[in-house]
Amino acid sequence: MTVFKGFLTLTKRNLGMMFLYIAIFLTISIFVQKALGSSNANGFEPERLDIAVIDRDRGTLAKGFTNYLGMFHNIKEMPDDKSVLQDRLFYRDIYYVVTIPDNFEKKCLENNEKLPVTKVPGSTSSYYVDQQINSFFNSMRTMTTGGFSVSEALEHIETYASVSPKVTLIDKTGHSGNMAEHAFMFQYMPYIILSILCYVLSYIMLSFGNADIKKRILCSCISSRSMNLQLILGHITIGLGIWIICIIMPVTLYRETFLTDPNMPYYLINSFLMMLVSLSIAFFISSFPLREEIINGIVNVITLGMSFTCGVFVSMDILGKEVKALAHFLPVYWYEIVNGLLAENSSLSSAQTIELWQGYGIQALFAIAFLAAAMVLRRTRTMAAQ
Amino acid sequence: MIHIENLVKRYGSLIALDHLNLDIEEGEIFGLLGPNGSGKTTAIGCLLALLKYDKGQITVFGKEMHPDSYNIKKNIGVVMQNIAVFEQMSVWENIDYFCGLYIKDKAKRKELVEEAIRFTNLEDYRKIRPKKLSGGLLRRLNIACGIVHKPKLIILDEPTVAVDPQSRNKILEGILELNKQGSTIIYTSHYMEEVEQICSRIAIIDHGRVLATGTKEELKNMIKTGETITIEAIAADDALLAGLHALPHVFDITYEEQVLKIRLSSARHNLVRILNFLTERDVSFGRVFSELPTLNDVFLEITGKELRD
Repeated sequence: MTVFKGFLTLTKRNLGMMFLYIAIFLTISIFVQKALGSSNANGFEPERLDIAVIDRDRGTLAKGFTNYLGMFHNIKEMPDDKSVLQDRLFYRDIYYVVTIPDNFEKKCLENNEKLPVTKVPGSTSSYYVDQQINSFFNSMRTMTTGGFSVSEALEHIETYASVSPKVTLIDKTGHSGNMAEHAFMFQYMPYIILSILCYVLSYIMLSFGNADIKKRILCSCISSRSMNLQLILGHITIGLGIWIICIIMPVTLYRETFLTDPNMPYYLINSFLMMLVSLSIAFFISSFPLREEIINGIVNVITLGMSFTCGVFVSMDILGKEVKALAHFLPVYWYEIVNGLLAENSSLSSAQTIELWQGYGIQALFAIAFLAAAMVLRRTRTMAAQ
Repeated sequence: MIHIENLVKRYGSLIALDHLNLDIEEGEIFGLLGPNGSGKTTAIGCLLALLKYDKGQITVFGKEMHPDSYNIKKNIGVVMQNIAVFEQMSVWENIDYFCGLYIKDKAKRKELVEEAIRFTNLEDYRKIRPKKLSGGLLRRLNIACGIVHKPKLIILDEPTVAVDPQSRNKILEGILELNKQGSTIIYTSHYMEEVEQICSRIAIIDHGRVLATGTKEELKNMIKTGETITIEAIAADDALLAGLHALPHVFDITYEEQVLKIRLSSARHNLVRILNFLTERDVSFGRVFSELPTLNDVFLEITGKELRD
């Protein structure tokens, strides 16, 4: 196992670089998880706005209407002064001003005149108040037409308005509608796996691929088959090592949420396949007669290129149509598709399960394709050397 | 120990080895001497089964050599022309790694690594990485990696290229010591002085063919030149050159930039005869050298060109 031990010795020399990448990965994933993953959507709570009601009528209907609005919003005392009200609106002390005109009942209820209101232009919350005012007048008109007095109608409207509907949000993700914290880490995982494996293995294979070292090994009493098997074992050991480190991180940081996630085994399979694909890509890169100085550039182009076009650093929702079409031909895209499925659904439908296995299958095919291409390339180079 | 018969190796239309024949005996330091591109390294590549050849037969230790002849390979040590060590391993780790390709026993390996380090005087550089070693030290590390497992046959392919004279002498002394310890050595070089200094038998190779084989004395006896006399700062006209050429044992004269080179066959008093001839004619001249034939003369006579061309 001399070749294998030599492989591990060279790996040890690259530990510094590996830890640097892991530190970058951890920082990015934790930072993004804190920034994006903390939206609080545990339940539904109606919004209460600060509004002003200027009552110029002071009649029964006006008081009832004011009380009605007070059930949904905070009514602020304001003087009946247009410039003051506009200032308050401008500085967002209030969001909506309702002016109840004289002879309110006749004008607005019987003659259907429009109620004078002032609101922050284009604000979504003002539509909310509009809707409540419309609802009030619709109910009042219906009931007064049906024979109820204004006082009776107001009483009924207040009763109905005081009933709050029970709203239950569907928790598709299993994490109160949010993306699981560990899902962020898995989203960034292809970058770290690809970077470390491509860098480290390319550098190691650069040494083993050195024509003079190769000759010296081939002159020894070790068979080329044994040498290749030991090199493959070295690749697998490093790949597994990196994968285990990547898995230990979410287990340590998000112990409960990750270990109890029903999708946990699927996350593991997905990242394992990504590791295999990365190994194949690393093997493919190291099949070219590269110089040490250009490995860095090539690995950066491959890892950052795939990460940006396949939804690792940028959400796939905001990627352009053309970019997405191109990404279909890259393995990381299929990893992210599976990761997205797992992050957004705590239990998968049969259609989603098919999509999941399709993603796995395509990644496996990519791994085989890169491996085969690397082997053909190596064989061609060996034949040419002889 | 090694028998190479009618070896032919082609690279497309180029014939690198053209019916090469060699026999190397146990205990020899056998020199393969030839200019760059003469086929020395290709011959070594074929001998080690690193290269496929088109025709011929190679036997080592009495057995035919194939890429999977591991029983033969375990008794061969190779020091290639280029440095073949891992940049990211220390001196000790490199030697231990290459020893591990032959020796599985850890304790024995440790012993052999220490011995190789002592032999190449690398004791103070055990933990140093190759990048920090000088050219000479790197060559010594390269040699240590090739000989650490104490092979019966050691092949050294131009091990002193780009090495300073002091390190070169140390390397040559080391090779003689390895031979004394019982290893058979094949030494390829285009430095004739080195080959003359250490090799017990020499094959002169050019265009993939062995032109002559023998001890250095045998090779020198094969040629006509017995002595070369060089006279500097002399003004010679055609009459003088003709007179010199007519002297006994003189068979070749060259005159360039006031330097006269006279080749003579082996005989007594050649130098005295030439000097008397010049003195009698009142010809003034500068320094005078008399040299015995070198391997370069052998190469020159056989091929018509200098070894260093």
